[in-house]
Amino acid sequence: MHRIFWVARRDYLAVVKTKAFIIGLIVFPIVFGGAGMASVFLRGKGGEQNRRIVILDRSGAAAAAVAEAARQRNQEVLVDKDTGLQTNPRYEFQIVPADDTNPEQQRLALCDQLRRGELHGFLEIAPDALHPKSNPPPSIAYYAASGADLAQQWLSQAVNTGLRRARLAELGVPDDRARDVVETAPLESMALVARDPQVGTISKPHKRGPAEAVIPIALVMILFVIVMVSVAPVLSTVAEDKLQRVHEMLLAIATPVDLIGGKVLASVGVSLTSSVFYIIGGLLALEALAAFGFAPLNLLPWFFVYLVAEVTMLCAMGVALGATCSSAQEAQQLAMPLLAPVLVPIFLFGPILQQPSGPMATAVSLFPLFTPIAMLLRQSLPGGVPAWQPWVGLAGILIVVPLLTWAAARIFRIAILFQGQRPNAAQLLRWAIRG
Amino acid sequence: MDAVEITNVTKTFGDLTAVDDLSLRVPQGSVYGFIGPNGSGKTTTMRMIVNIFYPDRGSIRVFGEQLRGTRSKHIGYLPEERGLYRKMEVRALLEFYGGLRGGGNVNGEVTAWLKKFDLLRCADQKLDTLSKGMSQKIQFIAAVVPAPKLLILDEPFSGLDPVSADLLRDSILELRRRGATVILSTHDMHVAESMCDGIFMIFRGKKVLDGTLDSIQSQYGSDTIRVSVEGGAAALDGLPGVEKIRDLGQVQELRMTPGCDPQQVLRAVVARTRVSSFSVARPSLHDIFVRIAGPAAEEVPVA
Repeated sequence: MHRIFWVARRDYLAVVKTKAFIIGLIVFPIVFGGAGMASVFLRGKGGEQNRRIVILDRSGAAAAAVAEAARQRNQEVLVDKDTGLQTNPRYEFQIVPADDTNPEQQRLALCDQLRRGELHGFLEIAPDALHPKSNPPPSIAYYAASGADLAQQWLSQAVNTGLRRARLAELGVPDDRARDVVETAPLESMALVARDPQVGTISKPHKRGPAEAVIPIALVMILFVIVMVSVAPVLSTVAEDKLQRVHEMLLAIATPVDLIGGKVLASVGVSLTSSVFYIIGGLLALEALAAFGFAPLNLLPWFFVYLVAEVTMLCAMGVALGATCSSAQEAQQLAMPLLAPVLVPIFLFGPILQQPSGPMATAVSLFPLFTPIAMLLRQSLPGGVPAWQPWVGLAGILIVVPLLTWAAARIFRIAILFQGQRPNAAQLLRWAIRG
Repeated sequence: MDAVEITNVTKTFGDLTAVDDLSLRVPQGSVYGFIGPNGSGKTTTMRMIVNIFYPDRGSIRVFGEQLRGTRSKHIGYLPEERGLYRKMEVRALLEFYGGLRGGGNVNGEVTAWLKKFDLLRCADQKLDTLSKGMSQKIQFIAAVVPAPKLLILDEPFSGLDPVSADLLRDSILELRRRGATVILSTHDMHVAESMCDGIFMIFRGKKVLDGTLDSIQSQYGSDTIRVSVEGGAAALDGLPGVEKIRDLGQVQELRMTPGCDPQQVLRAVVARTRVSSFSVARPSLHDIFVRIAGPAAEEVPVA
């Protein structure tokens, strides 16, 4: 054990004493936190410019209703009801008579205005939009400078509301009744109600705020980032040490298990240093924002268990794979396969969030390589997971981590002195089994 | 008890047999030279002694113990391929290696060695600021702190200037005087002849020589004539009773055919040219090496 700690001490200090580590530690929260705060700050300051949208109505009957519906929607979303601040740009609508003699020329002229920045976009309502004769019905064309224009989504709802109103007006339905027909009820995302274990009362329903939704996922993202930052350099460091012929002398003094154990311990130390810094900083920030109640304190022990497990697994594999490389480029090529156990659960975020208790999410989170990220994500969601699942996940990790570390040590011992062509997967497997 | 006891060891890498059924004993307190051409199995044998490689067959004992899977704090090893953490400061690096092997405080020993090699002024410098020769000396210190009972040096003199080489030689012999056993590999036959109590030669994975210089030379008898003549090697071409001439410039080394009388050779030489010196000698280690491993070598004569 003495040699493991001795190697760990050197490797840990070699990382944490570098300017890159200290700068990275500070820059990460500044970049992410700063971006979030800047966004909140800028939204609070308003300053959104008005955006002019032309409505070109070839049906001849829908434009006014569409403009009215859009104006109403404008009012609904322009200002944040809680803060009273303008959080979205104001859209101004201008109805332009359709030139049926030369529609191509009119379309081109409007597009040219758009290119010159005189317009934000224009809607072109088809002649039979009010009474579609074709199947599927004609679409409403929307022209904008960017394909990712956010106005498109809410304009779709506003235009269809306008068209429905126009149809109801044709049928002679009074305007106030027509509003009842077309009015949509907003969908609110609510926090789960719970019974107070001490007094037995059931909590009042309340809207789920952004902090409540984001903070638990932020914990998963911190885990993801720290694992990436702690593990990714291992590959290149070992490959670089191999190129500098550092390991032969070390292998005569310490066993491969001592060296890998030391390197893993150092990486775990680096990741714990970073995470303690971020978590304490995060909790202090929540306290300052009066949002400490949203902090998922109950998940912090699991966070650290998963962090240690993930870093141990990936770092051991990283040392073994780094030992097979003969250049920095080869090490870079192996970074993606090495980080797959953290990247795959991140790619599956969407399906897991949609069905956190579904069979896919459960299976992924019980697969030991994916357990840390996937299980923590499921645990952080409302409703959590059955109590047995994290423990089963942990049992899988406790079986896989020593096995992987042992196999990695066997590969490392041979690969670190192996020169020439990079060994293939079959060779690595043979080294891991036979030693 | 021998310092190292290798018994019927074989090591293969795929289809290549790097070491083939090798047995060798290195007595305690001796300096043992490993010689052999490149790729003959010297480094593989050394790596097996320090446990970096495990033998496929046979056993290796160091001071009576089989070390497979563990490391002894009594072995110091200087690999042929030099390499240290170049971003570390010299003293921190030496204390790291010393602490890793010995587990104790090696500060005093590090200072003494730095002083001996005149490197104390570099103690706080990073390794990547030092010259290659200085780095080699630092790596030697890393191998001998704390003082090992068995020191294994793979090509310790390669790349060193004569002054540094002398300093290193003195240090190795000083360690031997203090009781250490030293195994060193070298391509410099003069080093092997002058420093080593025992010499082991490996060729194509097999042991071909093992013993003292005297015992090895005795196997070949006095079949060598060293002669210095007017006209050099050209004047000696086609001499009767001589099967090979090695031209060393000012001196020529003649290998006699078996049963040849040196007096006949002397008469033949005098008849051709003016002779400055003439002596009958046993073959040098260099000559023996070339006889075994030279281009003409076909079969390996197992010792």
